[in-house]
Amino acid sequence: MSQALLASGRLLAGWRLAVGIAIALFLVLVPRLLPPFQTLQLSYGLIFAIAALGFNLLLGYTGLLSFGHSAFFGVGAYTAALLVKYMGLSSMEAFVLAGALASAVTAALFGAVCVRYTRIFFSILMLALSQVIWSLAFKLFWVTGGTDGLRVPTPTLLGGSVALGAGEDKLVFLTHRYYYYVLALFLVCVGAMWVIVNSPFGKALQAIRDNETRAEFVGVQVRKYRWIALVVSGTFTGLAGTLWVPLNGLTTPDILYWPFSGKIVFFVVLGGFRTFLGPVLGAVVFNYLETYAIGFTVYWQMVLGVVLVLLVLTMPAGLVGTLAPLFARRRRIA
Amino acid sequence: MDTLLTQILNSLFYASILFLIACGLSLVYGVMRIVNMAHGSLYAVGAYVAAWAVGLVASYLHVSLLLVLLLIGAAAAALAGALLEPTLLRPLYQRPEEYQLLMTFGLLLILEDLMRMVWGPYPLTASALSEFFPSISVLGATYPGYNIFVIVVGGAAAVGLWAFIYRTRFGILLRATSQNMRMASALGVDVKRIYVQAFTIGCLMAGLGGAVVMPLSGAVLGMGVDALILAFVVVVIGGLGSLEGALVGALIVGAVRTLGIMYFAEIELAVLYLIAAVVLFLRPAGLFGRA
Amino acid sequence: MPEEVSRRDFLNRLGVTIGAAAASAGSLVVPTPAEAQQSFQAKGKVPTTPYKTGHMTFFTGPAAVLGEPSYKGHILAAEEINAQGGLLGKRKIETVKADEAAGTDANVKELRRMKLSEKIDCFTGVISSGNTPALGPVAEELKTLTLFTDGCTDFLFEKAVPNPHYVFRVTNIQSADGVMAAIAASMAWPKVTKIAHIHPDYSYGRNAFDHFNIAMKKLSGNIQVVSEAWPKLGTTEFTAHITKTISAKPDLLFTSVWGGDYIALYKQALRYDLFKKMKVATTLAFGVVPQAIGKDHPAGVVAGVHANYHFLYPAGNRWLPNAQFVKKYYDRWKEYPTFESEGAYTALHMLRVAVEKANQLVGGWPDDQAIIAMLEGLMYAAPAGYTYIRPDNHQGYKDALTGFLVNSPDYAFPVWDLKRVITVPIRSITAPPGYPKGEPTTTYKWIEETWPKSA
Repeated sequence: MSQALLASGRLLAGWRLAVGIAIALFLVLVPRLLPPFQTLQLSYGLIFAIAALGFNLLLGYTGLLSFGHSAFFGVGAYTAALLVKYMGLSSMEAFVLAGALASAVTAALFGAVCVRYTRIFFSILMLALSQVIWSLAFKLFWVTGGTDGLRVPTPTLLGGSVALGAGEDKLVFLTHRYYYYVLALFLVCVGAMWVIVNSPFGKALQAIRDNETRAEFVGVQVRKYRWIALVVSGTFTGLAGTLWVPLNGLTTPDILYWPFSGKIVFFVVLGGFRTFLGPVLGAVVFNYLETYAIGFTVYWQMVLGVVLVLLVLTMPAGLVGTLAPLFARRRRIA
Repeated sequence: MDTLLTQILNSLFYASILFLIACGLSLVYGVMRIVNMAHGSLYAVGAYVAAWAVGLVASYLHVSLLLVLLLIGAAAAALAGALLEPTLLRPLYQRPEEYQLLMTFGLLLILEDLMRMVWGPYPLTASALSEFFPSISVLGATYPGYNIFVIVVGGAAAVGLWAFIYRTRFGILLRATSQNMRMASALGVDVKRIYVQAFTIGCLMAGLGGAVVMPLSGAVLGMGVDALILAFVVVVIGGLGSLEGALVGALIVGAVRTLGIMYFAEIELAVLYLIAAVVLFLRPAGLFGRA
Repeated sequence: MPEEVSRRDFLNRLGVTIGAAAASAGSLVVPTPAEAQQSFQAKGKVPTTPYKTGHMTFFTGPAAVLGEPSYKGHILAAEEINAQGGLLGKRKIETVKADEAAGTDANVKELRRMKLSEKIDCFTGVISSGNTPALGPVAEELKTLTLFTDGCTDFLFEKAVPNPHYVFRVTNIQSADGVMAAIAASMAWPKVTKIAHIHPDYSYGRNAFDHFNIAMKKLSGNIQVVSEAWPKLGTTEFTAHITKTISAKPDLLFTSVWGGDYIALYKQALRYDLFKKMKVATTLAFGVVPQAIGKDHPAGVVAGVHANYHFLYPAGNRWLPNAQFVKKYYDRWKEYPTFESEGAYTALHMLRVAVEKANQLVGGWPDDQAIIAMLEGLMYAAPAGYTYIRPDNHQGYKDALTGFLVNSPDYAFPVWDLKRVITVPIRSITAPPGYPKGEPTTTYKWIEETWPKSA
């Protein structure tokens, strides 16, 4: 009996590993297998996935719904743009480090105000604070360019050793070198998040989520842990914002406005926030859904709205949460 | 002096509209613990339906009768509420509140596009109504009569709602459900009915707000999303779920906005968020809220 | 120290013309585009595959009031060209449309999808001045022939795409809006000194504010800004802004509020008797569909149309292209065109002409390089008047114009007073090629440094 269980456990682990390797291999081969547009789409998907992973540390693991994550994404993006504008930098590593740092600081400040509260109060407080950042980007015209936004030219990668050649097609750069750059950081982020949620710290967050009082009782410093979770979460989302800028070429206050926060929530619920990889799948799928809805009809908002309503009514566990048990059951039967 | 008086009236006028939007948002949260993100869209529905109805019969009826048509806007929003609550929200009460928030966010997206589908991309107006009230002269300043009418409607709505909730049997049931839904249910209150009624009243108020503001500002795409954010600021300041809070919040936001426009034109918008952030920092549940 | 000149000399130097005279000056030869097109014979073998265009504009949200006419203008031109068999009589135009209201991030993705996945041949449209600086560089990266029909910020060709190859823009530049309003105001009301401002709080409003002030300073000498209000774009409640404006007792209110916002502003201002207490000048308020403004709007205000086009001007009997365009547009859509319609319509016809010219040179279907070479420096008799594409910066140049509002019994909405239309060659009010770049715009710097002061 126990041997059979052990064997099936080993089988499961082996199966997971095989699928993981297959997916990783596919991701590596994407620029060779798919047309450039699909590679670009996937770059966006992976970047949004990093934001979603960060967001889900709060929602899925700590039980806090933030309606203000656009702030971190935007701070990450604007940091890169301001480094270009005021310091003339073009190194992606500088952007990534500064973007992560700036969004971590922003998250730490937000956290100082917000982590005392939970549930809807936390959500609305985050919303209000993110709107303050939005109104700053919007208002400080001479610094942020107002609605015109700030341009970010093609950055150099890996300490300047990889760059866009003179007269070279930027599309080639984005769909090869930059894609691999994004993919590498994405894999690092997935790995880092996996370690975080399975660490004692991650377990403590889940304990807070499931029962705050009990967690406090066994010695978890609830507020401090929530605050750290928010900082980590904001840093991931900010990193995504920094990675997004070169793809878009420009950053505008759009990405700081509250509907963008709604989008991030959408990613995570679409994929399923009770699972580790749900947000990743949700972000990639949402990116396709949105792109094709906009391309297909001017009533794209309605398409997204209907999908969201149906999702909430019929698939509350999200794609991964609904589909994964189906696979698991079939395996058990086999 | 005349400017001061005019600006006080302006603040009251703006507060009246804000109250009409925010009181429904607060009522629904107070009773059902749902933050309805589609609430602003129902305000827009009120404006669109009223403009459409007035435009349809404007040439046949006397202007004073058209005023009654504003109620059709309010009724349309109420009807929408009465349909939406049992079908889309009721299945979610057992679930975490994230789902309710997402459902109403989805509704917001759908309603925005539905309005464009039905009424097209251009603004609808019906300004005959606001012309019907002559501008009056107060201390040498000209003040629009219709704005006074809106202030009266806002005040009447506040008094009416207060009487309804604190002076009727239904109000008692509503408050009981709001304080402890399970206990109320155990004592024989039909909670389902209370929910649908509360939601309908909330939407009615929003629709009324949209309808009375329409003769002045028209019915425009995107008006709902803007209204929602302002209503959020109001209830955040006043306290989610509190009617008194919605009233005080509306008065504060009305006054602060007017002051902001008058003296800090450059940062008009930021002033509002800043005030909200400060109130939240000091009293996270708002002035009248209970966390 | 800038020289001092009399106001009349100053205006003459700028080349300002007023009323119907302007039209006759430019209409010695009246071309007839539709007939010219019929007689065209393509050289060489032309494929019959459809020519795909992607048109992006606002279909939802408050800016749909500008976006819908843009789409209608584009479709009208496409239908006209297709009725002749398509481009070069062979390639039918097919249009993929996209909603600009989805936000910059989604717009950039959509342009890439259109080019890489839908394989569009040409990208047109775009209303928002926040979007052209985002989409211009992407269009260059994708090597997509692009004809922007608005999104007229100076920022596009000064900073975002300083050396355009694939990207063109046919409508006037944003800085012209403020300058034209200043010229009209200073001509109509020379004694004005105290100015109140109400502008939507985003780049367009800031740009209008700056350029109006600098031009007004040069034209009218000592002006004084007595009140400023910066409502957010999308505001429909202006009572406090109006009261503030009135209490400052200005001679003139200058506003760049537009769309549904402006409709709310003027209706509320009426109730406060604002129009009786001061003069009013606008930049874009009359750029939306004409029927959106009611007959209750007082006459005499400067009725700005983004310095681009009003459907009554040039008046029909003097300028055939406009008469034809307005009639066709009205027959097709049961409403009158706006500057957005004219821009989108003209852009597609300029593309047609460039393709035809390139065909005559190289035969067969010309590649993009040949079309671009023909677009550069192209002069086209558009409904709004001659439109010329400057080769160095790919910006469309035509007379900038503004007018005064009257209520005419012929229309169910207010229109322009044709006796008082003001036109200025755009080169007189924008920085010349090669002028050193400056802040906030090169044109601002150029006006500040080179315009004389009117005495």
